[in-house]
Amino acid sequence: MLKQMLQKEFSLVLRDKHSLAALFIMPFIFILIMSMALKDTFNSERALLSYEVIDLDNSLDSKTLQDFMATSSFLYKPKKGDNRDIHLSLTIPEGFSASLLEKKAAPLLQLSAAPDVKQEMVLIFQAKISADIMRLRLLQIQKEIAPFLPDTAPQLDLDNFIAEELLQINYRGMQKNEQPTSTQQSVPSWIVFGMFFVIIPMSTIFINERKQNTLMRMASMNISIPALFTGKIVPYIVINQLQVLLMIGAGVYIVPLLGGDALTPGHSILGLAMVSLSLSIAAIGTSVLIAVLAHTVEQATTVGGLINILFGAIGGVMVPKFYMPQSMQTFANISPMSWGLEGFLDIFLRGYGAQEVLRESLALSGFGMALLLLAAFITTRRMNA
Amino acid sequence: MISITNLSKQYRQHTALDGINLRVQKGTILGLLGQNGAGKTTLVSILNGLTPYNQGEISIFGLPLKTNLREIRQRSSFIPQSFAFYENLTVMENLRFFAGIQNIRGKQLRQSIEQAIATNRLDNMLEQRAHALSGGQKQRLNIAIGLLNDPEIIYFDEPTAGIDPELRNSILQTIHSFKDAGKTIIYTSHYMQEIEQICDEAAIIHHGKIICHAPVATLLTKDGQQTTLESIFLKLTTRQKATC
Repeated sequence: MLKQMLQKEFSLVLRDKHSLAALFIMPFIFILIMSMALKDTFNSERALLSYEVIDLDNSLDSKTLQDFMATSSFLYKPKKGDNRDIHLSLTIPEGFSASLLEKKAAPLLQLSAAPDVKQEMVLIFQAKISADIMRLRLLQIQKEIAPFLPDTAPQLDLDNFIAEELLQINYRGMQKNEQPTSTQQSVPSWIVFGMFFVIIPMSTIFINERKQNTLMRMASMNISIPALFTGKIVPYIVINQLQVLLMIGAGVYIVPLLGGDALTPGHSILGLAMVSLSLSIAAIGTSVLIAVLAHTVEQATTVGGLINILFGAIGGVMVPKFYMPQSMQTFANISPMSWGLEGFLDIFLRGYGAQEVLRESLALSGFGMALLLLAAFITTRRMNA
Repeated sequence: MISITNLSKQYRQHTALDGINLRVQKGTILGLLGQNGAGKTTLVSILNGLTPYNQGEISIFGLPLKTNLREIRQRSSFIPQSFAFYENLTVMENLRFFAGIQNIRGKQLRQSIEQAIATNRLDNMLEQRAHALSGGQKQRLNIAIGLLNDPEIIYFDEPTAGIDPELRNSILQTIHSFKDAGKTIIYTSHYMQEIEQICDEAAIIHHGKIICHAPVATLLTKDGQQTTLESIFLKLTTRQKATC
């Protein structure tokens, strides 16, 4: 009996072009677009800020300071004719060189920032300039002490001041020299979002079955509610797993073809399977309950679509959680999409395994099972009315 | 074959069936007549175990319905008014699906499907998706699905609603042919002429009660005069006449 139910459900979904588009094409396109659109956000090599220097000092020190700034990967100095907006304008006042080692009441430099520059960017710039000024001061001190310490002072290699030599950064769960990419963030997000779109085929088929009395006919053929629900749940679990595989495939193989970063799918297949299956139960539970409660297909797809968008917006699918203020990040935890997303990020981004995603997996499975039981209870009560 | 004693069904404040008593013999075609909301569909639904009832006794094939629902369902079939199949599956896929979920397999599966196809003249449209069929063809498929388990009792709920007269006749002939195969038919309809044409007995339900149950031939020649079911129905339901 289950075999026929599965065959039927698969045939119906595969013949429904709109459902296929929502389940496979929509998340695929989102993955491509968002991986490319957010590429620079995760790229430590890209220039974040454009700047100009108004050098009123015209000294060797002011030129050296500018040379130091030019080595930064996050700063960009537009060339003549480049119409890019200038984010920061640094003024080196006259007498800068002379006052480098003096303690003065007035600030050494003046910075004018465009109003749309984020405060944390100004702070990063401030830290960079502070480090460069310190280098300049150390160079001056080195020159001044050189005659007194002829053997030691020249060995202080202050010209080759490379940040990477001072601090090696390794991201947890990643190989040396690997770093998080936009693909690592966008693939899990849009997998989660796409999986919840099973609401469209599930509700369309389920409500049509109810309206056309096909469910009633099946009941008169001794099909029980558990058998009916199993016949609905299993095909969509398979469809959800196919979505996960295809979207991971898109992240690994297709995004790099378009110039994006390839997805590294983590190291825990068990952990991935746990998150993927439990997320599927949550998505199917939501879909079945909506299909049971809605009177028409239009109602189900509208309500289902709205719930998906709300879950996605709250849960960090559309806007990554790290962009949200702390209060919103806490609020995001009410969305099951957030639990699923965190589970996938644990696997893809943080390199965690099955043990670390157990909590999210249990929460998602519990949520899905609760909704399925509620849907079964409502259906039974209606049939016995 | 079907025995109903003092059957009542209450939906909150509304009494859908009120003390129904009915006996249907094997091989009979019984027409159930009644206005919308009279209780026809509720009665058929109860007989198929799809709706619980509050009071009364029902036995089918000599078996109490409440304790033998599974077996009774295996030996009977309910054909809803709506096209209760999958529009996006082909005719053959629909037949295979509904046979499969009833655990009809192997040689029996092939025979059941062949029989259902032949009886309902679906041969030329087996690979067509159901949504591409005409209204009459859809109704044929609807009926064919109901024949897959070779039922002894078939419940038809308004099978000719919305079908053009030519096709209606052909469907009526098909239904009448089931009598020759020894099947018992419970047939609900608004069309009095159809009941006159194919039914052996007619039962009129009004406000949840059976106000008339008699052989159709007897009803049509009451008191030596030729009459019509429509005339009897109108007299009974407008209280011009107490009994048939």
